[in-house]
Amino acid sequence: MGVRVKTGHTLLAATLGLGMAFGAQAGKYPDITSLPDLKINAAKAELGKRLFFDRRISGDAGIACSDCHKPENAYSHPDALSPGYPGNGHFRNSPSVINAAHKKVWMHDGRLGTNLNDVTREMLTEDYIMNMDMRVMQERAKQDPKYVQMFKDAGYGEPSNGSIRKAIPEYLKTLTSVNAPIDTGKMSASAKRGQKLFKGKAGCIQCHNGPLATDGKAYNTGVPENFDIFLDPMNHHAFIAFAMFQGIEDYMNLKRDPGYYNITMDAADTGKFVTPSLRELKYSAPYMHNGMIKSLYDVVGFYNRGGGKDSRKDSRLKPLKLGKQDIKDLVAFLESMSGDPLTSGKHVWKGPYPAEYPVIENWTQVKN
Amino acid sequence: MSNVIQTPTLLAAAITTALLAGCAGQTTSEAVAAPAAEKSMAAAPMAMAGPAPLAPLGEPPIPADNLQSPAKIELGKILFFDPRLGGDASTGCSTCHEPDQGWAWAEDFSRGYPGTVHWRNSQTIINSAYFPRQFWAGSASSNESQARGAARGGVAGNGEADIMEARLRVIPEYVERFREAFGTQWPIIRDAWRAIASFERTLVQRDTPLDKYLLGDKSALNADELKGKELFEGKAGCIQCHNGAITSDQDFHNIGIPPNKRWEEDGLAQITFRFEQYAKGQTQEGYRKAKSDWGFYYRSKNAWDKGKFRTAPLRYLKYTAPYMHNGVFYTLEEVVDFYDRGGFDEDGRTTLFPENKSSLIKPLGLTDDEKDALIAFLESMSGEEMLMDKPAMPEYAPLFTLAELEAAQEAK
Repeated sequence: MGVRVKTGHTLLAATLGLGMAFGAQAGKYPDITSLPDLKINAAKAELGKRLFFDRRISGDAGIACSDCHKPENAYSHPDALSPGYPGNGHFRNSPSVINAAHKKVWMHDGRLGTNLNDVTREMLTEDYIMNMDMRVMQERAKQDPKYVQMFKDAGYGEPSNGSIRKAIPEYLKTLTSVNAPIDTGKMSASAKRGQKLFKGKAGCIQCHNGPLATDGKAYNTGVPENFDIFLDPMNHHAFIAFAMFQGIEDYMNLKRDPGYYNITMDAADTGKFVTPSLRELKYSAPYMHNGMIKSLYDVVGFYNRGGGKDSRKDSRLKPLKLGKQDIKDLVAFLESMSGDPLTSGKHVWKGPYPAEYPVIENWTQVKN
Repeated sequence: MSNVIQTPTLLAAAITTALLAGCAGQTTSEAVAAPAAEKSMAAAPMAMAGPAPLAPLGEPPIPADNLQSPAKIELGKILFFDPRLGGDASTGCSTCHEPDQGWAWAEDFSRGYPGTVHWRNSQTIINSAYFPRQFWAGSASSNESQARGAARGGVAGNGEADIMEARLRVIPEYVERFREAFGTQWPIIRDAWRAIASFERTLVQRDTPLDKYLLGDKSALNADELKGKELFEGKAGCIQCHNGAITSDQDFHNIGIPPNKRWEEDGLAQITFRFEQYAKGQTQEGYRKAKSDWGFYYRSKNAWDKGKFRTAPLRYLKYTAPYMHNGVFYTLEEVVDFYDRGGFDEDGRTTLFPENKSSLIKPLGLTDDEKDALIAFLESMSGEEMLMDKPAMPEYAPLFTLAELEAAQEAK
């Protein structure tokens, strides 16, 4: 982490030295280029698709991945705070999982930095998310003949919890931006002006860079707390369980989301959250780690005011003095990073699931 | 474990005693007189003296590290009925231990967590305070550990400690009650199990006709019941395992219970069946071929323990049908017929591990009248039905005020 903090200071020094002339250093940051193609195994991805929309892979068979990552919302959720598992709420915004396969760090606080297999496991087993005993999950899959066939077709042999954690990431690879104007080059004049601001006067590129428009690092931008985390006991107890499990001290008295502090336990990192990707924003409102900002206009307005209020706020955040047209242009550019909705049968499992688990016939004679 | 290894020795002793007494399964006068037998609350069989005699139920044992207190008992009662002590806040203790279903669940398999079904019969809470072993394979050794195990089991409560503890902490009445009962600033989940155990230690029944009789009221059992008692202690041999004040030797036996046919007919039950093989640490081979509950084997991993289960206490059984670890018998008539046939059901089905079947189980040759008398006696081990209204559930409430949150935001 020391490295990341140092980077910030270096950037800050450079920024101060050049005053407002961000344009001059735009080249320092990788452009938002098209995402590389991913090699996808169709049979595995198809299996992952059926699993992603299947409620039977949560503890009480009440929610599927797709209940918090809804296709019509760019695979995020329209509420500020994710619904969480039945019986509790949640304390963070459900992010879009489009392009998740391209990330190197996951979760708003960046606590997962390995691979999507681990992310999948975390989502399935975390008690306030899907609360799934993966042994039950495996046996449910083995009880559904369609799965038995699909696992076989995918080369996994019989259904197992290990293969489930491979198949879902394979499906997530199929959820990548399609026909985003920034990739096709078909950007409006307004979006093009916005792009200039993005790289220049507005300084967004300093953190939102590279193909995903994120540097994958954590910053404090002063986003206000979402009080619903604490005022709604359903959300609050999920938060307490999380903070307790993560080993955050004084978790009963916390009145804010500690963010990246969770990783470093360094007070300086309190309130930092990982730079989100800006792709697929058009359908993934509301925004920020806690869903506190409802529209892209409001997001740009937030940065135009120099971010929120926090003594640990990144010092590069200053009022931007953007005009009305600038704001419109920036929003147009942000929207140009969104592609076609991925809501057709190509990405969404539209097939039925059996209402009951069919019985395995001749049970006493066949091997389990 | 030592009990299991000793079983053949005990059995030999029992048989020797029986031979000396000249009558199978007879309670000897020596056993009645043995002071150790009277002292023994749990009634482990006496190595030298044959089965412990039936005895009136005394005060339940209270562990020194969890003494009773009114605050704890009242808290435990509310927690017992609170469905929030489970994964999705829908499944608490009383969900599978309903007071009006004998503090158990009136189906063969316990209902299980939503989206699942259990694979064993839910046992009554009444008098569980006396049992040194709990669950059908004896995997818990106290009410405290039973409560914890049930709340966490994948097809039972499916709750994790952190979320359940967090839930208790956003319920102000619980915060108060835990503070009063345990002196802690915030509820701690371990104390929830302790409070529930304290409540369960109040759910005892000591005034059954049998208890009254054993305490000297000779009119408490009628002639039929007395005849049943004689059969129980003699010809039917029940007392060999169902003995002592709690009517259980708390040992493990294979009595020949056949697998529940539901595993052949119900997809959901098949899922749980395999899950249990997996979760209980079966070998790969065992997982593939198991077609019945291997019982105590999952704990001991000894082949000779396959199909053995802890002797079920018989008290309160009037209200706890169905019977046996997998609930295959819905009436006492079926139970008695099963024993009378020497451990076979009406279709001739028995355990898949006949090699482990207890040699105590053999055809009894009971007449219809004798069966009726035996059932009458079994029912005399139950008193009045113990019903209880569910207490009001305390409500969630925010821990902080908006003003406090705004002040914290201001101070960021």
